[in-house]
Amino acid sequence: MTATYDWLRATLTREHKLDPEKLLLDAPLEDLGIDSLGMAELLFNVEDEFGIVLPQEPVTLPTLGDVVRFIDDLILAQSGESAPVKPATP
Amino acid sequence: MRRVAVTGIGVVSPLGDSAAEIFDAARAGRSAIHRLDVPFARRLVTPLAASVQFNGADHFEPAKLRMLDRVSQFAVVAANRAVADSAGGLAAAERHRAGVFLGTGMGGINTIDDGYQTLYGEQSDRIKPFMILMGMHNAPAAWIGIEHALTGPNLTYSTACSSSAVAIGEAWQRLARGDIDVALAGGAEAPLSLGSLKAWEALRTVASIDEADPSASCKPFAKNRSGMVLGEGAAMVVLESWDRALQRGAVIHGEVIGYGLTTDTGHITRPSVDGQAAAMCAALASASIDASQIDSINAHGTGTIANDGVETAAIKAVFGSRAHNIPISATKALHGHLLGATAALEFVLSLMAMRHAVALPTMHLQSPDPACDLDYVPNQARGGVAIRTMLSNSFAFGGTNAVLAFKAAP
Repeated sequence: MTATYDWLRATLTREHKLDPEKLLLDAPLEDLGIDSLGMAELLFNVEDEFGIVLPQEPVTLPTLGDVVRFIDDLILAQSGESAPVKPATP
Repeated sequence: MRRVAVTGIGVVSPLGDSAAEIFDAARAGRSAIHRLDVPFARRLVTPLAASVQFNGADHFEPAKLRMLDRVSQFAVVAANRAVADSAGGLAAAERHRAGVFLGTGMGGINTIDDGYQTLYGEQSDRIKPFMILMGMHNAPAAWIGIEHALTGPNLTYSTACSSSAVAIGEAWQRLARGDIDVALAGGAEAPLSLGSLKAWEALRTVASIDEADPSASCKPFAKNRSGMVLGEGAAMVVLESWDRALQRGAVIHGEVIGYGLTTDTGHITRPSVDGQAAAMCAALASASIDASQIDSINAHGTGTIANDGVETAAIKAVFGSRAHNIPISATKALHGHLLGATAALEFVLSLMAMRHAVALPTMHLQSPDPACDLDYVPNQARGGVAIRTMLSNSFAFGGTNAVLAFKAAP
């Protein structure tokens, strides 16, 4: 959880110029300005970063915490290991 | 029909980033064509282009920049400059009576090229999420509409080399009819990707390099012309109803008075004297003027073997013996062929030429072609030329001939 969250915070701070103080687990993504396109881009980068394949079906991830749990569950399911599969690189 | 004023100009171009800069460069005959020094240049037979010094990060936040192909970056920046130049042209607009009319020939070709490189070159399936949004032809116009909250018509015209003449002409018609009150119209093009440059080379229409002076490689109307040189950039203008412009005390750069449109159906690329002449006549008719009132012409003047002779014959067909007395300028020798953006850039240059009473030069015309025997203002600008009314020609692959007619500001 922590490594995934840290990577997300670092990525959103860098790529979307967001204030890291506002990137709390219960923060709604919409309030952070991450719309459906921002989410598509984020999930694309998640696949590269964590070496996982996301399902094609649409997912509803309202908060940052939901994204973290979604990624960690996939990592666990696809690798049999607990997150992170590889060290997060900010 | 309502009169239509040009009240804002914005450019991103090989010759400069303002109307004044590009006019100064064109008047001085300074060519922006150069040898390409990009990494893939070694794969080009003729590594020539007129490129723009432009860094998207200077204009857009990273999150937005990642969604914009170079062509959309050019378009939005040019549109913003036009809006700023209009000094409030959009401020009082009813948004649904304000539209965007943009021409582009190749749209987001850089994005498409990158995507194919990933897919076929790298044999990877990792296509980036925004390829569709960045590559689609209507992205530049859409982003301009979003930027300025213009909720009227948002239309993209793709008629190859006449795209932005069509865009300005179609905007003019809607303004003249009263369908809308204000428009951002023009064109954008960013065709300097490897895939695009190789495709143009394959068509064998690009100029050979003038080894003595690569910047002189495009030679419209010259006997030793060998083809066109690709350029990139964008030019946008604010068009609004004349009364509205007067009411708000706008600076008027000129007046669009007519637009002619015809199509050659004989061949996909071969130009036709009849088609080009008919488009010029249609522009005159729509402006309710006759040929005797035209003081100067901005030629399509690509520097290709096929175009320049046909265009010369078409001008003679329309203007008769007077054709020899009309100054004709082919500025592509300097800024290259911006394809879907070229007509808009040449429209802006023409407005500036009228304002300064200067016939712009057709550069690199040292060897006259006997078949091209009109007054092309060879190699040196001509000052003190009273130009009240002009035509600007744009003739495209696919056969779309578009001609704009316009007048100087009062």
